[in-house]
Amino acid sequence: MTRKKVKLAFITNDSARKATFKKRKKGLMKKVSELSTLCGIDACAIIYSPYDTSPEVWPNTMGAQRVLAEFKRMPEMEQSKKMVNQESFIRQRIAKASEQLKKQSKENREKEMTEVMYQGLTGKGLQNLNLGDLNDLGWVIDQNLKEVYKRIEAVKKGASTSSSSSVAAAAAAAVAAAAASQAVPPPMEQKPAVVELGLDPMQRTQTEWFTDWMNSNTSDQHIGYGHADEMILPNFNDNHNANVWPNNFYP
Amino acid sequence: MTRRISKGRQRVEMVKMKNASNLQVTFSKRRAGLFKKASELCTLCGVEIAIVVFSPGDKVFSFGHPSVDTLVERFLGRDLPPPNNDVHNQLIVAHREAGIRELNMKLMNLEEVLQMEKNRGESLQEIRRRANGQWWESPIEELNLFQLQHLKEALERLEQKVEKVAQQQKMVNNHAFPFHTLGSAWTPPNCARESSSYGLNGGAPFANRAIGSTSSIVPNY
Repeated sequence: MTRKKVKLAFITNDSARKATFKKRKKGLMKKVSELSTLCGIDACAIIYSPYDTSPEVWPNTMGAQRVLAEFKRMPEMEQSKKMVNQESFIRQRIAKASEQLKKQSKENREKEMTEVMYQGLTGKGLQNLNLGDLNDLGWVIDQNLKEVYKRIEAVKKGASTSSSSSVAAAAAAAVAAAAASQAVPPPMEQKPAVVELGLDPMQRTQTEWFTDWMNSNTSDQHIGYGHADEMILPNFNDNHNANVWPNNFYP
Repeated sequence: MTRRISKGRQRVEMVKMKNASNLQVTFSKRRAGLFKKASELCTLCGVEIAIVVFSPGDKVFSFGHPSVDTLVERFLGRDLPPPNNDVHNQLIVAHREAGIRELNMKLMNLEEVLQMEKNRGESLQEIRRRANGQWWESPIEELNLFQLQHLKEALERLEQKVEKVAQQQKMVNNHAFPFHTLGSAWTPPNCARESSSYGLNGGAPFANRAIGSTSSIVPNY
């Protein structure tokens, strides 16, 4: 609609101001009309300008008088409740924008720290973070832990019916994980036998199948992922744990 | 939140809307837009405007510059036309207009910052979408029990590490101040950015945990 962005200040040039007034007044009246029609409501607009002794009115003088009479009939409180002038109107918009900004910033911060958390899980160092970052990172980890606890409980209660889909998901994820050289070290050291995880026979078989499948696929997929400036656990420093990983993680 | 591709500007038929909730939403949005346009017209052209609209729920919204009541009274012919324009009055008006200008600027800046944060949100979303994630980055619902337990332990270990590093940093900062004099060559690197949301609570670093503080993170992923 406009080619240049108009600065929101009084237009000092007289002819420009008059031209703007004409255009915008027309547009404003159109908008009132549309609002009234689309929503089936009563409305009126009154504009006093230096260009005319009598005001411009929508819909017309009679219609406006009718609406205003209805307006005046309402209790004082109802009239004032949603009444604004320029100042209060702008203040309202400032308040709303502030709220949105606060919310968006928090969301972004959470997303940002979640990325850091994921990197932290691969062994990336925490030395670049200041106290504020660490605090927020801790918060995000906390939130995730709460979810994990909840989910563990739910799964234990046998609520989960998705064992087949989780195997599929695990299969898909395993390929990506195999490519990762640094990974979350298993809590138990280097237990080669799948049996040690206390897997039931069905899960054990699936893991063995898994391992075979993975072993035949891992050749070119060793993409270095993560930059281990610092390890989480000092004993996890072997780059070739791709095979250990699926054994312990993919029942 | 999924990426919603909206249909863009649609042509609307000028009849009363059928869907009641859409109607209500339309009313809210258009009423706000109408008042915004009126406010702009007042500022740009120095005119006086009053608008009264009834909501679908029979509440009344009104906008008036300088005020709804004075303009309504003037229109209905119940006051003395036109208000006097002496110096005193002009001063009041000028003062008011200056206040409005300031508020408008504040609002504009705020909206700019908000837009920037929204853009940042979009790019963070992109990063997540494009990330070739590890299994633990999948939604929790997709993990089996063993994965969950391993994830749990990994997170707990990470949390401990974070607390340890935080403790270290706190100690460094606490020792900083006795040595820090004006013009000293040694300035604690992140001192100035210590966040207010971090409680310096020795026993429990994350006891007052809240999110939303300063960040020293430069995207390096």
